[in-house]
Amino acid sequence: MNVLPSRTEAKAQPVRAPGQATAMIEIDHVSQMFQTSARQDHLALSDISLTIEDGAFVSILGPSGCGKSTLLYIVGGFVSPTQGSARMKGRAITGPGPDRGPVFQEFALFPWKTVLGNVMYGPRQQGVKAAEAEAQCRALIEMVGLKGFEDFYPKELSGGMKQRVALARTLAYHPEVLLMDEPFGALDAHTRTRLQNDLLNIWERDRKTVLFVTHSVEEAVFLSDKVVMMTRSPGRIREIIDIDLPRPRHRSELLLDPRYQKYVVDIERMFDDGPVQGSAL
Amino acid sequence: MRSRFIPGTRAAPWLACLGLLVLWQIAALALKNDSFPTAWAAIRAIPLILADKEALINILASQRRMTIGFAVAIVVSVPLGLMMGRSRAVASFFNPLLMVIYPVPKAALMPIIMLWLGVGDLSKTLVIFLGVSLPVIYHSFEGAKSVEEKMLWSGAAMGLSAAQRMVRIVLPAALPEILTGCRTGLVLALITMVTSEMIARQSGAGNILFNALDMGEYDLVFAMIIIIGAMGICLDAMFETLRARLVRWSEPQFDMPLSFS
Repeated sequence: MNVLPSRTEAKAQPVRAPGQATAMIEIDHVSQMFQTSARQDHLALSDISLTIEDGAFVSILGPSGCGKSTLLYIVGGFVSPTQGSARMKGRAITGPGPDRGPVFQEFALFPWKTVLGNVMYGPRQQGVKAAEAEAQCRALIEMVGLKGFEDFYPKELSGGMKQRVALARTLAYHPEVLLMDEPFGALDAHTRTRLQNDLLNIWERDRKTVLFVTHSVEEAVFLSDKVVMMTRSPGRIREIIDIDLPRPRHRSELLLDPRYQKYVVDIERMFDDGPVQGSAL
Repeated sequence: MRSRFIPGTRAAPWLACLGLLVLWQIAALALKNDSFPTAWAAIRAIPLILADKEALINILASQRRMTIGFAVAIVVSVPLGLMMGRSRAVASFFNPLLMVIYPVPKAALMPIIMLWLGVGDLSKTLVIFLGVSLPVIYHSFEGAKSVEEKMLWSGAAMGLSAAQRMVRIVLPAALPEILTGCRTGLVLALITMVTSEMIARQSGAGNILFNALDMGEYDLVFAMIIIIGAMGICLDAMFETLRARLVRWSEPQFDMPLSFS
């Protein structure tokens, strides 16, 4: 695998924060079987094992239909795997919980709640007093760039704004892990870029563990410490690539960085070529 | 966001009413039939009914039955419909049952219900209940079924239990659809109310109408039709105002208002 120069080096050292890199999420031989509408068994995920370290930004990259979202749903506890298990901080995941906060491509906002109402929903559910929750949530709304939109209903917002609300709503209940399911997939290119930048800025503040599903190579390389490449169905892990680029990352610098470009080109080539290297040239 | 104001839309339903009355007047004058009084004669007979204490008591009794039947139907049907929409087991149990009941005109059950429960309030209220239930169940079911899975997942991640998700996510998310069902239910309540009173002629608005028919007092018959119609229009307009307030957050469903509200 000499196409991926940094991989061997990175393998020897932890992705980030030398010292104790503790496992936040462990996925252990997970397989997922679905029944299709024709009543046939379809293997969506096959024998996935993956460890995600505390504070790491990990992207799961793969073509559509490779089961990458399913893997995220298993970690979220929304779907239970047919085989294998997932653990969070050593404890088996049996269902959803506020320690793992999802952000979906479909936003999934509560349309009957205002922006503030949506963001306050989690903290209120957790028993935070209304006044306290409101103060925290107003600050969060400002952080995601939506100051002045607190009293708007979701239908009055653009897609990018809705996703900002969804992110704030999830951050509001302080999950330890963010589970992002193609969060920018429904947005136009410009909005997408802005949200990627803003997400990184927000992430730099506390460096939560993030599991980020995407089919965009640039997005995965730009954001992640580690990119998990998956194969088309049944979804298997094909490569795990450490992205050894300095942080904090700035788009304008990174796009000119040959290392960034090489990661993108190498990964794209792997997608195009299949298992045989270099045949595209 | 309010829909743009189109000049004339507020006056349009009133103009339509007026047009209908004018057509009626012309038709009645042209036909010169005893059993088809003019619109003006019918309108003049309205105060006669409303000034009569007996008639008012009858109409109020109708209203009471309708209100009770409607309210009980909503209280029962909304939770049932929502549960059917979220649970395959509940849906597959009730669906065949409802499919059989759905096309049966509820008033057709009236003779049997009268046989069992008498001609009093209970029978009539029960028929109203049955008439209202089905559209409300159906729309609640559809509303609950189409609630986005990811919305429920988001709630689950925040720590909402299954029961809490039902009340605090499925119910509000399905509310626009539920209220559409309730609006249909309200009109059906009025229809079944009148028909039940035509069959079990003991009291009520339908009873007044048919008594007047028996007596050959056709202007009273038509006056009563106008009163019942006006009741329906008022109720619908009130409900529509309430509905619009409750689901202001929802996408606008109609550009043209379909009511007097």
